[in-house]
Amino acid sequence: MAAVSGAAIEIRDLAKSFTPRRGVIVEAIRRISLTVAAGEFLAIVGPSGCGKSTLLHLVAGLEQPSGGVVQIGGAEPRELARQHRLGMAFQDSALLPWLSVQGNLALPFKLAGRDVNRERVQSLIELVGLAGFERARPSQLSGGMRQRAAIARSLCLEPDVLLLDEPFGALDAVTRRRLNIELERIWRQYAITTLLVTHSVEEALFLSDRVIVMRSPGAIAQETQVPFPRPRTPDLLRREEFHRMADQITVWLEH
Amino acid sequence: MERTQNNTAENLGYAALGLAIFLALWQLAGKTGVAGSALPPLTDVVNTLRDPEILPLLVTSAEYTLASAAKGLFFGGALAVLFAAVMHLLPPLRPGLDRLAVLVNATPPIAIGPILIVLFSRSQTPAALAGIQVFFIFYVAASSGLAAASPVLRRVMAGFGASDWKQMMYLEAPASLPHLASGLKAAVSASFLGAILGEWFGAPQGLGLMILNAMQNFQIRLMWAAVVVAAAMSLTVFLAVAALEKFVSRRFSQ
Repeated sequence: MAAVSGAAIEIRDLAKSFTPRRGVIVEAIRRISLTVAAGEFLAIVGPSGCGKSTLLHLVAGLEQPSGGVVQIGGAEPRELARQHRLGMAFQDSALLPWLSVQGNLALPFKLAGRDVNRERVQSLIELVGLAGFERARPSQLSGGMRQRAAIARSLCLEPDVLLLDEPFGALDAVTRRRLNIELERIWRQYAITTLLVTHSVEEALFLSDRVIVMRSPGAIAQETQVPFPRPRTPDLLRREEFHRMADQITVWLEH
Repeated sequence: MERTQNNTAENLGYAALGLAIFLALWQLAGKTGVAGSALPPLTDVVNTLRDPEILPLLVTSAEYTLASAAKGLFFGGALAVLFAAVMHLLPPLRPGLDRLAVLVNATPPIAIGPILIVLFSRSQTPAALAGIQVFFIFYVAASSGLAAASPVLRRVMAGFGASDWKQMMYLEAPASLPHLASGLKAAVSASFLGAILGEWFGAPQGLGLMILNAMQNFQIRLMWAAVVVAAAMSLTVFLAVAALEKFVSRRFSQ
């Protein structure tokens, strides 16, 4: 795999407000400018309702901005989605419940109108540790296994950008930590430009190259580079420097 | 699991008990003649059903009615699903067709009958009337079913760049199957109603025609026998479809 892959994300003066009722305007994103380099893993943390999920939806082209622009590799997000170059995973694994693991991983190919690459599907299933569960349906899997399948599905089409919205948010602490370690290993193989939205400071630090702290409503409060070299191993989670940074970010969050 | 099985057994027991009481009351009312000659005892109706001269006639009529109902169910249902799919992909057309569907449904079938005879033939009218009854039920079921996919799954589809057509094929259509199965359950009874009613407009055969002829000729027992066959047939298909619905709603729940 190439050292750097994926496309750069360019966000300029981005604003988004909703009008849930007439006369009521909710400001989700006030003004954000941000550049994510190609192949960079950026984590976004922030309190509930600070607009971090909205930011991710804007980058995915699921919402249209009220002001400003988002460009991925020089193109509009919706254009990128239309070309099937986005990979996404959500807190709710959002697997199609009537399809097997295999069927869910074949889905992106079918949606893109391409032949299903059976070998790739199988190698992704093995990569996320679901070998033997190819024919299982989501309801037969644990929450952690469903999230692994969702991560595998997001990688099917070798996307230029990976967008992760609280992918492990609904899991217990032990499973979450294990999946963080696995995601770091998987990500190293691809090194795709990645945006991760999370509540967990440890998760953000362990996975990313840079952490952005947001505050309400919809603005960047702080940002910091994550200096830890890759590959990152579980003992990083026990290092003093790691905890010092985690504490610092937590202080920013509470501010 | 065991509890549901117990409940199912209990429910079946109550249903059998209810049916037995109903049949016993029928027999009693027939024997005592409280409803006059219009209500013969159950045993007389059963004897009519077993009459070797009448039974083949009942079977042929039932087959004819069943064929009309099935034809109406198939074409009415298929057309309704097709319309709902087109409306789903082309929302601007929707309000107009919704109104047309409501209008057709609000018109009493008995008033449409003569029009259908002119449009189709007398022998096709039962199927056409059954189809009209079925169309509205399926149109409503398919429209609401196609709109029933969860927002999260829609977001996944959008994120993967699915076209409207692909989104319908891979997400909305499977997600609509439980709604369609419920619709089918309601449509089965409606299709029999439509077919039997349609036969009153001069169909060459069928249970509806038999009921009408028997009534006009005061063949009370024959009339009751035909009604029993119609009810039994409708109920059997209904129960089969109810089992199908249970399976589909479990398999395709979101």
